[in-house]
This record gives sequence, C-alpha cells and structure tokens, in this order.
Amino acid sequence: MNESLFSLLNYGVYGTAVILMLIGLYGALIKKSLLKIVIGLSVVDSGLNLLIVALGYYKGGTAPIFSPAYLAHPQLMVDPVPQALVLTAIVIGFGVTAVALALVIRLYRHHGTLNIDQIKNLKW
Amino acid sequence: MVGSPVLFIAIPLLAAFLIPLLGMIWKESVRIVPGLVLAYLLVLSVSLLQHVLAFGPIIEIIAGWKPPIGINLVFSPFSGFLVTLMLFLGLLVWAYSYRFKRNVEYEPALKYFLMLMMLITGSVGMTLTGDIFNMFVFIEITSISAYGLTSYYKERNSAEASFKYILLGSLASTFLLLAIMIIYSQLGTLNMADIATKMHLMKPGYKVASLIFFITALGIEAEIFPLNGWAPDAYAEAPGPVGAAFAGIVVKAAVYAVIRVIYTLFDLPGAYQFLIVIGIITMVIAETAAIRQEKLKRMLAYSSIGQMGLVLIAFGFGTKEGIYAALFIMFNHAIIKSLLFFSGSYLAYNSTEKNIADVSGMAKHLPLTSLLFALGAFAIIGLPPFAGFWSKLAVLTAAADSSLWLIIALVLAVSVVELVYYLRVVNRVYFFKKEEDMEPQKPTVNAMIVMLILGAIILLVGFYPDSVTGLLHKASSDLMDKSQYIQHVLSAR
Amino acid sequence: MNPVLNIFILFLGGAILTYFAGRINKVLQSLLFLASVLVPAFLFYTQLSIGQSATFSVDGITLNWSLNYFGWLFSLIVLGLGAMAAIYAVSYMKGKQRLGTFYFNFILSIMSMTGILLSQDLISFFIFWEIMTWSSYLMTIYNGNKVQSIGIKYFVFSAIGAYAMLMAIVMVHSITGSFLIKDLINAYPTMQLGMQIWIPVLLLTGFAVKAAMMPLHVWAPGAYSNSPMAYTSVFSGALSKMGVYGMTIVFVTLINKIPQGIWFREVIAWMGGITAVIGTLWAIKQDDAKKLLAYSSVAQLGYIITGIAIGTELALLAGLFLAVMHALFKGTLFMVVGAVEKQTGTTNFTEVSGLIRKMPWTFFAALLSIIALAGIPPLGGFVGKWMLYESLITSNHYLLVIVIFFSSTAAFLYCYKFLFGFFLGQEEKEWSHVKEAPAAMVVPMVILSLLMFVLGTFPGILLSPINNGLQALGYTDSYKNLWETSVILNGWGNHVVLQPILYYIIAIFLFFVVFLTLKGYKNTRYVTTKDISSSGEIPKEDENLTFSENFYQPFFRAVEPVMRRQIDKFYKNLGEGLEALFEFMRRIYTGNGQTYAIYVIAFVVIMLLFGNYLLK
Repeated sequence: MNESLFSLLNYGVYGTAVILMLIGLYGALIKKSLLKIVIGLSVVDSGLNLLIVALGYYKGGTAPIFSPAYLAHPQLMVDPVPQALVLTAIVIGFGVTAVALALVIRLYRHHGTLNIDQIKNLKW
Repeated sequence: MVGSPVLFIAIPLLAAFLIPLLGMIWKESVRIVPGLVLAYLLVLSVSLLQHVLAFGPIIEIIAGWKPPIGINLVFSPFSGFLVTLMLFLGLLVWAYSYRFKRNVEYEPALKYFLMLMMLITGSVGMTLTGDIFNMFVFIEITSISAYGLTSYYKERNSAEASFKYILLGSLASTFLLLAIMIIYSQLGTLNMADIATKMHLMKPGYKVASLIFFITALGIEAEIFPLNGWAPDAYAEAPGPVGAAFAGIVVKAAVYAVIRVIYTLFDLPGAYQFLIVIGIITMVIAETAAIRQEKLKRMLAYSSIGQMGLVLIAFGFGTKEGIYAALFIMFNHAIIKSLLFFSGSYLAYNSTEKNIADVSGMAKHLPLTSLLFALGAFAIIGLPPFAGFWSKLAVLTAAADSSLWLIIALVLAVSVVELVYYLRVVNRVYFFKKEEDMEPQKPTVNAMIVMLILGAIILLVGFYPDSVTGLLHKASSDLMDKSQYIQHVLSAR
Repeated sequence: MNPVLNIFILFLGGAILTYFAGRINKVLQSLLFLASVLVPAFLFYTQLSIGQSATFSVDGITLNWSLNYFGWLFSLIVLGLGAMAAIYAVSYMKGKQRLGTFYFNFILSIMSMTGILLSQDLISFFIFWEIMTWSSYLMTIYNGNKVQSIGIKYFVFSAIGAYAMLMAIVMVHSITGSFLIKDLINAYPTMQLGMQIWIPVLLLTGFAVKAAMMPLHVWAPGAYSNSPMAYTSVFSGALSKMGVYGMTIVFVTLINKIPQGIWFREVIAWMGGITAVIGTLWAIKQDDAKKLLAYSSVAQLGYIITGIAIGTELALLAGLFLAVMHALFKGTLFMVVGAVEKQTGTTNFTEVSGLIRKMPWTFFAALLSIIALAGIPPLGGFVGKWMLYESLITSNHYLLVIVIFFSSTAAFLYCYKFLFGFFLGQEEKEWSHVKEAPAAMVVPMVILSLLMFVLGTFPGILLSPINNGLQALGYTDSYKNLWETSVILNGWGNHVVLQPILYYIIAIFLFFVVFLTLKGYKNTRYVTTKDISSSGEIPKEDENLTFSENFYQPFFRAVEPVMRRQIDKFYKNLGEGLEALFEFMRRIYTGNGQTYAIYVIAFVVIMLLFGNYLLK
C-alpha cells in the first residue's frame, strides 16, 4: 500500500466519520419521527466513535496488546487511549439510546403519535 | 487523614449495586440505604474540607497511575466546598422525599432513590475529577439519571420533557467528546493539570474549536441560553424535590465544569468577556420569560436559569471578588431555590396543572409552608436581611470594582422583574381566594423539617454572613490560583 | 451591652414575640406590642447620647451605627409619632384579622426607620431601608385590596429607588473603598465630574421615591389609602420623611459642595413645586378621605422637597420644620380618618356627614390639623410656610413662589371639603348610632394636635434641634441661630417676644368663645338640619340638603386639561408594553425539542464563525 493511498484512506475514514455525523444530525434535527430522531442520535454517536478510533490509528500500527507483532515493533503500537475511550462511549451511547427508546414508547402511549411536532404540550 | 475522596464515588456505586439485592430481603432498605450513604459522604466531605482548608488540597490517585497518566481526583477548597454543598442538598432532597408518597410501591421507590443517588454521585464526580474524559463519564451518569428522574411520573407529560432533555443531552455528550478528542489529538493528554501546562502548545484554531465545543456541551447542562431549551420542561415535569436537585446539584456541577475549563484549562482572555455576554443574555431572557409563566415550577425553572446567568456574569469578571460573588450566589441559590421548590410543590400539590393560579389562598391552609415560600421568595429577590442580599451585594461590588456600570444597572433592572413575578405568587398565596375545593396536602414531618432547616440557613446567612464567607473566600482564591493547582496535581504521589 | 444594639434587639425580639403571642392571648399580644414600641423608644432617649456608636464587621464590611443631632431630630418624628400611632393602633386594630402580621410589620417599620437614622455607613443604611420597604409593603397589602396592582406598584417603585441607591453605594465603594458615609462626604469634592453627578442623581432617585416626588409619586395614593389607617399615619407621617432625611443629607453634604449643584437645586425645587400642585389638584378631586389625604401628603412633601432643594439656611429650616409639622398633622388626620372608618365603616364623603356632635374630640383634632395643614396661624404650619415663602423670595425664586402659593391656596379647597364632608353638613339618621372613638384612639390624636399648637406658638422648641441637626451635618452658617434669618422670626420666632402677642390673641379668642357660649347657653335650642323652611317649603325627611358630591365642579373644568395628562397612565402603558415584550420573549421556547436542538447547532456555528474573538 503506497503512501498516498493510505492517506487517502485515512482521510476517507475521517470523511466517512464526519459524513456519518452530519447524516445523524440531519436525522435528529429535521426528521419528525421520534424513532428517526433516536436513530439519528445513534448515527451521530457512531460517526464520532469512528472519528475517535481513526485519530488514534496511524500507518502500520499494531494492536496495543501483547502479541508477536507488538513485541517485534513496540514503538509501532497504536495509541490505546482512544480505543478505551470509544469503548466507554459506546456503552454510554447504548445506555442513552435505550432510555430514549423507552421514552419513545411512553410518548407513543401517551400521545398516540410519533410526530414530534404534535408532542409539544410543554411550551413557552 | 479521615478518608479518601475516592469513597465519594466508590461507596454510592457499590451501594447502587447492593440496594436492589438488599431490597429483596428488606424492602425499606431501598429508602434508607441511600440516605445513610449520603449522610456518611456528607460527614466525610465536611471532615475532608476541614482538613483541606488547613493543609491544602488532597489529590487522590486512582489505581496507582500517577498524573498525568492516570485518573486523579482533586479535593481542593473550591471543589470540596461544592461537593459539600451538593451532598448537603442531596441529603435534604433525600430526607424530603423519604415519604414522598406514603404508599409508594417498591419498584418506583427503588428507581427513584437509586437514580437520585446516582444523580448526586455523578455531580460529585464531575466536581472532583481531574481528568476530562472522566468528567465526560460522570456527566453521562448524571444525565442518564436525570432523564430517568424527569420522566418519573407516568401520568404527567414528563416523557416529553425527558425526551427533549435526552435530545439535547445527546448533543451535549457528542460535543463534549469532540472537544476532548481535539485536545487529546493535539496534546496527547487527558489530565486537566497537564492540559493546562501544555495549552500554549496548541494551535489557536484548535484551541478555540475545543473551547467552543466544551462550552456548548457543558452549557447545555449549565442552562446557558440558547442551549437551555430542556430546562423549563424538565424542572416543571420532574417531581418537586428533583427540581431542587437539578437547581442545586446538577447545574452547580455543570457550572463548575464550565468554570474549570475556562479558568484552568484554557488561557483565553476573550472567554471571560464571552462569559459576561452570554451570562447577560441568559439572565435577561430567562427572567423576562419567567414573568409571563403560568406554571409555578416553570417559573422557578426560569428563575433558576436567570440566577445561573448571574453566576456566569460574576465568573466573567475574572477577579477574585467576582469568583467569590459567583460562589456566594451559587450557595444561596442552592439553598433558596431548593426551599422554593420544596415549599412550592406542596402549595401546588393537588393541582394537576401546577398553575400559579392554583396556589391562590393556600396561606390559610398551609401557613408555615406559605411562610417559608414567602421567605424564599424574599431571599432570592435579594431583600435584606435575608441571605440573597449579601450575594447580590457581592456581585455588584465586584462589578463596580471593574467599573462595569451598565452591567450593574442591567442586573438591578432584571432584579425588579424578578421581584414582580415572585411577589405576584406570594400575593396570590396570601390574598387570593381559593378557586375550587382543593384539599391541600399537609407536608410530611420530614419535609417540614427539611424546609425549616433551609429557612434557618437563609436567616442565619442573612444575619450573619460570616458563617459562610470565610469558606467562600478560600474557595475563590483556590480557583484563582491556577499554577498552584497544576503544581499540586502534577507533584502528587 | 451597647445601648444601640440593645434597642435593635428589643425591637426585633419584641416583633417576633408579639407575632407569636397572638397564639396565646390577644391582650398579651397588644401589651407586648405596645411595650416593644415604647420601651426601645424610651431607651433611645434615656440611654443613647449624641455620638454614641456601635460598630461591628460583617463579611469584611464595617457597619457603623451612631447617633448624631440630625438623626435625633428625625427620631422625634419616627419614635414620637410611632409611639402615638402604636397606642392608637391597639384600639384601631381590635377585632381584626392577622393581628400578628400587623404588629410585626409595624414594629419592624419603626425599627428600620430608627436604624436608618442611626446608620453611619451605606450598607446598614440600605439594609434598614429595604426592611422598611418590605415591611411597609406588607402593610400596604394587609387589607388584601388590589394587592397585585397597588402592592406591586409600590414595591416596584421602591425597588427602582432602592436599586438606584444600591448602584450609587457600590459606585462609592469602588471609588473610596469604604462604605462609611463620612468617607463619601470627604471624598466627594475631589471625585470626577461624572461620579459627582451620578452619585447624587442615583441617591436622590432612591429618596425621591419614598418622598413621593413627581414623577415617582404614583405609588403613594394607592399605598397610603390601602394600608390600615393606624399604619398610614406612620407611613405618610414618618416613613416618607426618611426620603426627606436622605435628601437633606445629599443636598447639604454633597450637592452644595460642588458648583454644578445649582442645577440640582433648581430642578429638584421645581419638581417639588410641581409635585405640590399636582398633589393638591388631585386631592381636591377625591371623594374618599383616605385618597384625599394621600394626595395631600404628596403635595405637602412637595413643599418640603422644594425647601430642602433651595438650600439656603431659611429654606432648609422651613423644609425641616414643615417635615415635622407634616408628620404631626398628617399623622393626626390619618388617625381621624381611621377613627371615622372604625365608627362608621366608610370613609367616603358622599356617605358620611354631620359627625361633629357624635365625635367632638375627633373633630377637634381634625380641626387643629386642618388649620395647621392650611398654614393658618397660630398653628405650626403657618410658621413653616411663612419661612418657605420668605426663603423662596429672598433667593429670587419668584415664579416658584407663585406655584407654591397657588397650590397652597388651592389646598384650602380640600381642607374645607375634609372638614365639611365628615363633620359638618346634614346629620343623617343612618349615622345616629355613631359614638366617639375609644379613648385610646382619641388621646393620641389630641396629644398630637396640641403639639401642633405648642409648636406654632413656640417654634423655637423645634427650631433649635433643627439648627443643631443642620450643624451636625456640617452646615456652615454665619448665624448663631439659623432662624434669625427670617423676618417673621426676628419679630416673633424668638419665642420670648412671640409669647405675649399670641397669648393676647388666644386669650381674646378664648374669651369670646366662652363668653358667647355662656351667653347663649340658656336659650340654646338644638335644631335638626331639617328644622328649616325656605319659601314655605318644608324639606322632606329623606331630602338631601347638603352635597358632598362634585364639590368643586367649575374648578375642575378649568384645570381638567392639566390633569388629563396622567403620569400614572404613562407608567401603566409602559408596564403593559414591557409585559407584551416579555410575552414575545418567552415564545423563544417553542416547546419543540428539535427547535431547541437547532438552537444548539446554530450556537455552535455562530461561535465557530466568531471564535476569533475568544482569542483577544
């Protein structure tokens, strides 16, 4: 794999992450269905997680675990911190999505609709 | 040494795990154990605070990884003061809601008290931690419990409020993570003290971007306008004591985080002016929105936002007097707003809509509760000789020392607006006729004791402000002294 | 312990005890109430000596309380009138609801006013000022009438004034680094011009609200007339004088020290004059005695303000003399109205009439007070007004003299209306059961009206404390006794010379009264009002021969255009406009979660666009 292809790939990962986040934001901000909003929020999360992992990676890096590859080139180990952070972030994102979905169910029972424009009893 | 700051996080987490198990054996434990935990932590925090005031900050290193690599907790006069305040309020909220519905079933009670405990733990963790990613985790702990508590009552519109909260809260966590990652990618560290020392290495563009993401993320929790759309709904729909917990605990922790980021992490002078500007906008819009509210708790929510605006303005002065004033307001607001939420929710107990009109004439039926509500209203307006006056005076003197005359005029003008909407409610409570036959709910004994304690503190601080100001002065010089913070953390063993 | 602190502790403890004593016994409560007003007042005059002070420090701020002659002068109003009103109040409030609240706030008002007079630093001054404001506010809404309009209007205006004052206080602190009034006075002449102007303007705004000066007077009629009358006599008599007290200090110690002060003096003097005219005109129009007296208070305070603003020795003397006199006669008059209200249940002139024989003592007090109010010798009001005119003329304010004179003359119209409306006119059967008010109410009124008489006869009794007070403020005078500047007092004011002349007049007056009474005593035949016949027509039983409605209709046709421009309406529109604006503001919170999320994103985008500002 040559240099330019790699950097393209690398930027491609960043680009994908950013595009994912924007798609997610679009979903969360414009779509009217509560479910789509929740999906949008998880897509934003996924994009962000991808971005974080990509930040910690560099060309030819090895996994940050004791393995033959690591022992051969310890200096090539990729940064383990973002990976640990992403794990945490994924768990948290999962929790938030679960709570959000539970609320969507309750909202549907209470209002009989999933359209966020019709769920605004609390205003002003 | 009496104990370690790590207990503030370890004990509630352990208790949260054990309480459901204990609950299988003895049902009452789900109510009692959180109280015991909070009481113990309060005692611990008071004794630690005394130690810290005498001997300097305690830096707790977790799992033997020294800073800047490992996570550390910082119990300094500043964070210690806030932690003590939060735990005190947390204990009061617990005591107030101990019998909040006499025949509440096992499962709702379990959820309520567990989430309440986690809410407090998250806020305390946010305040103690010295690591930005750890802060993120604690914010999420706080938020998720807050979502749950907001949607506690199934029969109200609480799910709607909670959903709005979740929508904004998710955005907050996204932006916070983004800010953390920008800093990490540039500086390679997550430790606050370490970031502070290396901040000058960062390119201005990245610096500004990460600060903006920080402010946005933390500002959502700290109710900064225009990020505070969730707040009025959440306050209005959550159970009354939870509103007090939001105003007194969660928001305080979030403001702490904003201030820590701006004062310690970054060295951007423009950020102080930004605080003043955004504080003014927040305060003016919130207070003017409050005057036309129809629901009691919603009005209190806007008032809370307005007070936070004032806190931000005071922090924006960037002087020691400013920080002192801001801390004083935070203290007073925590005490007074809790009292207002506590007494207000009894005044509007049996009204389904919780409209301000429904509290009319309650003074005849609930004289003491009404009196305490009036006391709280007078105190928060800043009338002497109650507690609120001294903090208002502090903020004005701090502004005058920086020659910010327009801000003084504005703060005072907004105070007039504040006065009008509080007096309208108090007048209604005392002088209006009751509209329908609504059986007022008498406060439980616990609730009454809690409210009386808060009222006593308001009077005590009002007549003898020195009872808290010494502590506040120490806390404010602690925040001002950034280099000492860095040195303490990085040299910790 | 320090006597200063003792007084405050007695007041405060008394207030709290009185509040809770109502749970045990009503009589005990009344006694406690009387004790907690009278005992500290007694201690004030027996234990406190001039210059005695108490200090302690709160939050790094030194609070300093000490007594000087100027404060002592006003303490006469506060504690004297307060004590009388307290005695009156016990009887007036008998059988009313929420007595505890009334007594509590009454005592707190007296305490806060005493505190204001003792405060030598701005912070404790402000604290007492605010306690005075909220305790009087709670009195204003005590009856529960129109609490949302009148009560809040009063509090909002007070708050605007108090906050203006607070702003001045923090300004002073940022310049001098101290809250002591002494330091302000010393530093003032060397301040920048901007501060030299802003500090008095803001302080005067605060005082002008309490002194009900136009255009900040609109709260006064409602607040005065809706409080319980026992309190209104203190409210209008003493509480408004705190504004005068503050104004005098500002004028004497600050404004007169700088050359630009002349502008302040002219503007405030004219505002006082206009206040007097407006107050008088509105007072004439009222059909309710409380309202009439309330507007009359506004007018009278206008004279006082004018006198103080003019600032010559004589004018100050006149202003302060009138201040004391106003406290006496307006205190009495509100008590009179309270007595009438208590005995008849109404205070409307169109309903009550002919009480002179039912309530002779009340009438006596009302008559003397009205004479004093109108400024007719030999009562004290005359001396004060004379000095005011004289000082205006000697300081070349001829136009202002005309304004004040007009207002003063027009005041006769409402004076007469007051006396006629209640006491004279047709006796109606409806009121035949009315009896004289209880002794506890009559005695304070009579004492106060006799005091007016004494002060009118021997103005020197009052003039020498005023003289001392002004000197305590640092008023540098070229005369040993300030009143020697006055024409009238050269001849009469020195009471040694005055006595014989007045005594002759009074003796002759009394002689004729006694003579005529005795002479006619035997063939006196009491007639009822209906015992007349005109042109052979005998009035029927239910026919009304006296009219208290539309008393001065032609007069009003003349002044109508002036009165139509109400400041009240302006404030009302302003308030409504602001509320509409606020209503618009709260629509920002649309209730749609997505909108809020869009706010967040918009915030981020805007911040990123303008992020460079954070670097500066």
